[in-house]
Amino acid sequence: MFWRTLNERNPNRVALRLALHRRRLTQVLSAAAVPAPQHRRFFLFPVSRTQKLGRFSSALHLRWLLGTDPEAQPRKKPETSKLLVMDHHLASDSPQVRPRWRKVAYGGMQPGFDDNHTDESFLEGMVMNANVVRRDMLKVMLDSVSISEYLCIVALVVLVWTYTLESTIDESRLLCIDVSLLVLGFLILLFTQEKISLSILVHHYFLNISFFIMGLYVLAPIYQTLTRSISSDSIWALTVSLLVIHLFLHDYSESTVNAPGALKNPALTSCISVNASVVASVFIASRLPSRLHVFAIMLFSLQVFLFGPLVTYCIKKYSFRLHLCFSISLMVVTLRFVYMLHCLLFVLLLSLLVFVNVVCPYWLIRIQEYKFEINGPWDEAKLCFAITD
Amino acid sequence: MDRKKYRIMMVSDFFYPNFGGVENHIYYLSQCLLKLEHKVVVVTHAYGNRSGVRYMTGGLKVYYVPWRPFVMQNSFPTLFPSLPIIRTILIRERITIVHGHQAFSTLCHEALMHSRTMGYRVVFTDHSLYGFSDAGSIHMNKVLQFTLADVSQAICVSHTSKENTVLRSGLPPEKVFVIPNAVDTAMFKPAVVQPSRSEIVIVVISRLVYRKGADLLVEVIPDVCRLHPNVRFIVGGDGPKRVWLEEMREKHSLQDRVEMLGAVPHAQVRSVLISGHIFLNSSLTEAFCIAILEAASCGLLTVSTRVGGVPEVLPDDMIILAEPDPGDMVLAIERAISMLPKVDPQVMHHRMRELYNWHDVAKRTEIVYDRALKCPNQNLFERVSRYLYCGVWAGKLFFVVMIVDFLFWRLLELWQFTINTHNLFFFLFGSSLHCRFAIHLSLGVPTL
Repeated sequence: MFWRTLNERNPNRVALRLALHRRRLTQVLSAAAVPAPQHRRFFLFPVSRTQKLGRFSSALHLRWLLGTDPEAQPRKKPETSKLLVMDHHLASDSPQVRPRWRKVAYGGMQPGFDDNHTDESFLEGMVMNANVVRRDMLKVMLDSVSISEYLCIVALVVLVWTYTLESTIDESRLLCIDVSLLVLGFLILLFTQEKISLSILVHHYFLNISFFIMGLYVLAPIYQTLTRSISSDSIWALTVSLLVIHLFLHDYSESTVNAPGALKNPALTSCISVNASVVASVFIASRLPSRLHVFAIMLFSLQVFLFGPLVTYCIKKYSFRLHLCFSISLMVVTLRFVYMLHCLLFVLLLSLLVFVNVVCPYWLIRIQEYKFEINGPWDEAKLCFAITD
Repeated sequence: MDRKKYRIMMVSDFFYPNFGGVENHIYYLSQCLLKLEHKVVVVTHAYGNRSGVRYMTGGLKVYYVPWRPFVMQNSFPTLFPSLPIIRTILIRERITIVHGHQAFSTLCHEALMHSRTMGYRVVFTDHSLYGFSDAGSIHMNKVLQFTLADVSQAICVSHTSKENTVLRSGLPPEKVFVIPNAVDTAMFKPAVVQPSRSEIVIVVISRLVYRKGADLLVEVIPDVCRLHPNVRFIVGGDGPKRVWLEEMREKHSLQDRVEMLGAVPHAQVRSVLISGHIFLNSSLTEAFCIAILEAASCGLLTVSTRVGGVPEVLPDDMIILAEPDPGDMVLAIERAISMLPKVDPQVMHHRMRELYNWHDVAKRTEIVYDRALKCPNQNLFERVSRYLYCGVWAGKLFFVVMIVDFLFWRLLELWQFTINTHNLFFFLFGSSLHCRFAIHLSLGVPTL
């Protein structure tokens, strides 16, 4: 419904789009072998009943298939527009009955037909846009909120790094932030996961987190002296690039740290993004004066990068409304803090959020009309059982 | 009617000493065309030490151009440097038609491009099916659009392949001819003494890769062995999935019922086939499966997956089709086992002789050449403007490539005009003066 109304509103644009589509398909105007009007016959194939047209209106596709201007010709119903491809030599055939053409390769040349005979059943098995998902603008915008939420989280982390490097936040305050974040994370997990019980919480999460924290504390002296010989400019440049890589390759659909019970192999890109964020945290931590600073900032960064996606995933799974409120409040808080830091960065962040939330969904929906997915008997068969490789 | 005799140049990266569908097709087609008194020359890249000009059976001249294969038997894609050698061969042999094979072959695309620049008629045969959605297919299809933008005629090996090629390249369907492969029935004869039917032997000969359905075999073989105690399998071929088949053998203790032969040389394929009753093909995609023809010619009943062009290859009483699903394939094998008593290998072999014949393929290809020569020769701008339809950016790029190719050709015409005079010399005194020394001298190509 949506597609038909969108396209009917602007027939000229549709004509232009159809012309572009057609051009992409007709590569050859072989003036000698096929006189110019005949090349349009390539598109005059009947839309057979067995053909699945997906969710697109069949009339729109038939118009595309006909290669005609939708203003010039009245719309035909698919059932009544069974156009036949009659080659010109068929019309001049002798009146005797010849055997029907069969779609077989054996037996040599079929009597009465040339080898380049194109039957009515040509492209009968072609299925167009069978798997295409129809997208709704509002839903895409709501889905893009999770991307902007993560952008804000990363922006907050960078803020904390900046304040720590300027010594605006001292180590005791940082440690308080760490502890409060940990407690908050645990509470959210407890609240949102229905199947969790206190014993699992203690055994699985709490123990692992305490081992993790102890390990970080022990290794803090190493991080402090790790990049002493590298100049600060290189560190800032590397950190920025690593964060950009991290944002690009991050898996926005689900969390990288698996919830208990989830059996899935993380994709290569999500592994790279996690590694990039960890390395960026190490670089920043190595610029700090004391061991406690290093430990606090490392704990903070790793908490957010490794466990943040898990927490947001649990919130999203629990209630979409809660997720929406959380994201919007996070965006507001981030924008406020960035504004306090620097005006230009505030403008950049705001424009980025607008781009991600508003411009990209609109763009996606507009270019989806050009989608042309072709399936047919020539496709490689898909195995329905799992393959171990 | 006295047919016109053509001088044909077959060009592809895939030729003897490699064995495969494309290679066999080129060889057999060339031999049958030679018997029809055309002249055929094959151009391919060097294989190991085999470089230079060789002669094969029937006077088939093969130019092994001294380029090393780059990846997957293809030569390195150089756009313009291949023009001099192709031009030399075209002029030397006084070629009238250039016939390229296989969309995956870079040498084929380059040779067709240069031949069109020089104004020769070009025919292209496509042997494979490709998809539309993954990155490799998208690039391959773009290259194919470039080549087929200006081709005289095209040939596909099955009707499904024709649909696929027409969609990928945008050719008008009237330009595409469907001429299937055939099989050398003299070589693939059934056994004189049939193997006993008390124990049914199922033969599988294929490369053990994902594309050829090796994973399906891993699922199907244990089920069939469990349901039918008198069935034995012979698996020939090698590949990355062989490990999984061996593992399946160990897991189900089928060492005495599943025999793994490893890679089978082409000369011994027949002896493996005639030791069986049923041939199993589990590929996930096939434009036209020659292995099935070879098996049917040896009198085996075929069980295959219904993919690509396979349903068109054999009549229904010689093949049983199944969906690429293990359960369905097991049912199809059961049906085949029940049909086996009614199957007579000698009758099947004689039927195959009627159904598939390389001489018939050659005659149909001749018709395509006649049609190709009837296409008028257009001037440069008409031809080159076709490339602009290939895409918004790609069209312009292809346009520029063809213009540069044309300019390079004119430069060669001025610079290497000695080749033209040598051509005149041979034209005047006939090809009986085909002195090898003179050829090597004028070619300027390092040969044997």
